[in-house]
Parts: sequence; C-alpha cells; structure tokens
Amino acid sequence: MKRGLTIAAALLLAACNQQEAAPPPPQAAAKGGPPPPPPYQMRPEAATGSRLAASDGQRAYEVHCGYCHLTGGMGTNLLTKQRMMAGEPPENGLLTNRTDLTADYVRQVVRMGKNAMPQQTRVDITDAELDAVALYLGKAK
Amino acid sequence: MKLVTPPRVSPQAFDTAMQAFAGVVGKDWVMASDADRAAYADTYAPGPQEQWPSGAAVAPASVEEVQAIVRLANEHKTPLWPVARGKNLGYGTSAPRMAGSVVLDLGRMNRILELDPTLAYCVVEPGVGYFDLYEAIQRDKLPLWLSVPGNAWGSVMGNALEHGIGYTSYGLHARNLCGVEAVLPDGDLVRTGMGAMKDNPAWHLFPMGYGPTWDLAFTQSNFGVVTKAGVWLQPAPETSLELVFDIPEADDIGWVIDTIAPLKISGLIDQNVFIPSWLGKMVLKGQRKDFWDKPSAIPEWRVAELLKEHKLGYWQVALRLYGEEPVVKARADVIKAAMARNLKAAPVENWWRTGDPINAYETTMGVPSAVPLQMSDWIGGRGAHMGFSPVVPATGKAVLEQMKLSRKIIDSFDVDFYASFTIGGRFANNVNMLMFDRDQPQQIETMKKLFNALIDETAKAGFGEYRTHLGWMDRVMDTFDFNDHAFRRFNEKVKDAIDPNGIIAPGKQGVWPSAYRDQAKEGRV
Repeated sequence: MKRGLTIAAALLLAACNQQEAAPPPPQAAAKGGPPPPPPYQMRPEAATGSRLAASDGQRAYEVHCGYCHLTGGMGTNLLTKQRMMAGEPPENGLLTNRTDLTADYVRQVVRMGKNAMPQQTRVDITDAELDAVALYLGKAK
Repeated sequence: MKLVTPPRVSPQAFDTAMQAFAGVVGKDWVMASDADRAAYADTYAPGPQEQWPSGAAVAPASVEEVQAIVRLANEHKTPLWPVARGKNLGYGTSAPRMAGSVVLDLGRMNRILELDPTLAYCVVEPGVGYFDLYEAIQRDKLPLWLSVPGNAWGSVMGNALEHGIGYTSYGLHARNLCGVEAVLPDGDLVRTGMGAMKDNPAWHLFPMGYGPTWDLAFTQSNFGVVTKAGVWLQPAPETSLELVFDIPEADDIGWVIDTIAPLKISGLIDQNVFIPSWLGKMVLKGQRKDFWDKPSAIPEWRVAELLKEHKLGYWQVALRLYGEEPVVKARADVIKAAMARNLKAAPVENWWRTGDPINAYETTMGVPSAVPLQMSDWIGGRGAHMGFSPVVPATGKAVLEQMKLSRKIIDSFDVDFYASFTIGGRFANNVNMLMFDRDQPQQIETMKKLFNALIDETAKAGFGEYRTHLGWMDRVMDTFDFNDHAFRRFNEKVKDAIDPNGIIAPGKQGVWPSAYRDQAKEGRV
C-alpha cells in the first residue's frame, strides 16, 4: 500500500515533469525515480455514420472520453490515485480495467459529472454513443 | 435545471421557437430538457449554476443551418449564445451571460477544411478541438506544431476567439487567426480579409485585407457567429532546447521580467514565456490538505519549508527555443549570459531533436492535454477555479507593482496566492488562480468578494483584465472608462446597428444590445 502510494505520487510527479523530453533508461523507475511521462496516445478516428444510431462502444469511448481517460490522461491520473488509496492496483485508474462499474453508473457520471469531471452534453457524446460506452465499460451487473 | 425563458418570451412561445429550430437541425439536436440545461450550465460556477441558466441548446451541422437558426432567432426573439466546443472552463464554460439565451453549440461543425504544411496554416470549423487537429497532423505526418492552452480540451477556434494563450512561439492565439467567415446577426454571411473576394487563395495568408479589418472584431464579441477561421501553425522545428531556471524568491520576478522581456521583444526569444509560481507545480503533487491542513492561507514559513522539501524555486522559468541547432545554441548562449547576471545556478538543459519522442505533457511543444485541470483536485471535492487575469507592461517595475497589489488583497482574504506571468511581448498576462470547492458556500462567498476587490483595486492602479467570467463581464467592462466609457458606447452603437433584435450573445463582455440593456443588472456577482 505504501509502495503503491509512492508509485502514484511518482506518476503525478511525472505529470508535471516537463524536463524529460526523452524517456530515461528503464531502470530509473526501479531505482525509485519517477517513471517517464507517457507518450501521447492517439484516439481512433470518429465513426462516420450517424451519431444518433447505435455505435461501437470501444471507439466511442476512445474518441469521446479519450481526452482524459486514456493512459496519462487527467481522469486516469486522478483515478489512479483514488483507486490506489482504496487499496486497488494502479491499473484500475483506467476505466477499461474496472469490473465494478455498472452501465447506469457510467451514464449518470457522464451526464452529471463527478468531482473533477465536468458533465457532458449530448453534443459531446450522444445518447446512442453513451449507451454504447456504458455497455462497453459497465462490466458489473 | 428548470426552464428559464428569455425576457418577454412565454414558455409557449419559447416552445414554438424550439420547434422551428428542430425544423432546421432535427429534433435530436434541439436540447431543451432539464437535464440538457444542466449539461450546458457553468460547471465551475461560483455559487449556484442557476445564476446563468440557458433556455435550451441547439446544435447546427452546417453554415446554412447556422444562418437559418439565426434568422429564426430574430423572428422568435430568442437570443443565441454561440459556443465552439463549450469548454471555456473558469470563464463560464458554455453558459450564457443572459438568462434564457439558447446555447448555439457549434461542436458538430468539426471539419478540418484545409491543412497546409507548406504555408503552415489550417482552416477549421468551430468544433475542431486541439486533440482533433493534433491527431490529424500526426496521422498525415505533417511537419506542423500546434500552440495549445493549458487545458486543451476545447476548440482551436474558440480559444483563439476568446483571446486564449499558449506557450509556444504561436502563443497569442487570436493573432494566429487569419481570415474568418461569420454569420451576421441578420443571417447574412461575410468573409473577412482577402476572403471578401470569391475564391481568393490568400484568404488565410494575408492578415489585413482591403479596407477595415474585422477579424479581431469577431473575438470576445457578439457581432456575429464565426463559422470558419484560418489559423496559422508553427512549422515543426529541427530541434528544440528547453532551459529550466529555478528562481528562488518571489521578488526575483522583477529582474526575471527585465531580463527576458527585452529578448522577447527583440525576437531572440520567440516563445510566449510562461512563469508560474511554485504552487503551479505543487498542485500536481497531491492535495492541499497533504501540505497544509487548515482552511487559512498557507503561511510564508510553510511555503518556505515546502519549497525546500520539494526543491522548488518560488518561480520556474522553463524557456524553450525552436529552430536549427546552431541557431538555438547561439540564442541559448545569449539567454544564459543574461540570466547569469542575477542567477548563479546554470539552467537544466533538455534538448529535443527531430525523431526524438515527445511525451504527452509537452505543452511547450504543442501537445494537447487536459492534465493541467488536475489542479481542481488540489482543493478536493468538486474543485473549481477562476482566473483573475490583468495585463501589465512587461517591465519588472510594473510586474512587481501588480504582484504586490494582488498579493496584498489575496492575503487580506486569507486565500492562497497562486500567480503566473506569461510574457507575450511588450506585456505580460498575469493569471492569479483562485481555487475553490463548489460545495463550500463560505469559500465561494470569499472568492466572489475577493474577485470584486481585485478588479476594482487593479483598475485603480491602471491595469485591466484580458478575459473574465460571466459574472464579472460588466464589472470589468466598467473599468474601461476612458471618455465616459466611449469604448462600450461605440460597441453598443455597432451592436444596435447590426443586431437590432439583440439576438447574438447579449451581454457578452459587457456589450448589451438596446433590446436587452434592461437585463444588464442581472447575473452580476
């Protein structure tokens, strides 16, 4: 747990470390230094069909939630810290690794916002896209 | 959020207008439920979001649809509040200045119409976000870099129209705009600059045009709805060097400005140089309560301890140079010699060369990220921020004067002092971040009083803000007082001439059309 928190702190430190243009050698993290900041993670291109029809949950998630919820995103960083404080592994900072989310909960957080996350409009993510994302992330029944 | 209609519009008449809008965009893109109104509320509102309620939102997909909506809005007297992607966090998000206005959400108009690597510019619609443009450039492997704001979740055009700032050589975003297309308040369509001539290929290249130059008149403005804009981009440099100087004391900002500003004005430094105070680094290291567990401002002795513990200077100058390696080296030598006059420690140097990886947080290399919004976690709970942002001359004297003034006021309210200065040329943008928890009414009351005091006292000292939140748009406009507020009177004259029904963004930046001037007292904090 203590070690977990140290890693979380390092991750967050990495978030503000603008000095490392090139990743340091891999052993740096093992020695307790901060891990290298992650590379930019590209989102897929948005689907071309109607945004009002049923869509591919994974793609909709990456396109519309990817600003913050892919590796190194603001949401991922904050959730990594939050999950680790709850005694869970840091990987659970990524919503795709969570098994405790229900589809309804996902819908609610997206539309209502939560803590640092602002609420999303139906232009940000349509109801059809949100349904697909909720099914994709909502692994709990 | 329950329905609030625009002044003198009954709920029935409002509903009729929404049905007319639906005839243009389809019923799915007229968003008029309580949940929709809540979604378009100011997410960081100081106090209840109901202070700036929209009546509904409508999302057109084309210029023609925007024109049709604007014409219908005139007919039904339902004013519109245009937003590009609606992410103006800290300044009102997508909420309107006047209650009941219909948010004209341009997020669906998100095409990149041109992306020219030779002349280094793009033409974008309002809904194109920084992430979208960045990824389009990466996909085509084009030698172009963006300039991104701290929070890059929003629209490229929207940020430029709001006078947003970034931290590269192209950091004055409004200045990158070249040639816009706008729907006027009567539904007519105009193109500025060389674009006023049909199919002129220099539309997005020559910044002036023929006759009066209107591009910037559409920024922070309610004179029209911008539907396309040319935006200049930075050619990818061959190399880049970051020089990181830790500056020990608060008062050192004076000589730092006097050292860097002349180099920026002479052109030796291209970049918009961002100088955040220590708190800018701390907010990413944890939560406030981890470092100071009392509601009172962090006292100076504790600040000194924290700087020591975390090996931080009071300020950090992370200056970046761009270009061919010998040129960058020569420039760096001049800067290092200039800084060495006051600072013993040599800077940390980070070289980047074409082909090296660039990580996801390199704001000064134009990589978009929303990670700076993590600062809302500093306060905890539903954290939010507002920025008090005066512009000061880029001299040590003026900057110190402004810093001491705002610091004294902020201290007197027992609030943490978190300042940054960005040297954009002959001026510096001073942003004082005020962070609060949206669920602590007492804290919000303090912030509101503090904000008022900052605006008033700073104006007395002769400085004005470059941008502000909805609740203070009028108060800040009031500070621009030359010749009995001639500037506001002129803007309102233009507004009334081109928008007799006052249909586009009434009250934006304190400019009210006569149709709604009676509403100007509402929604002030």
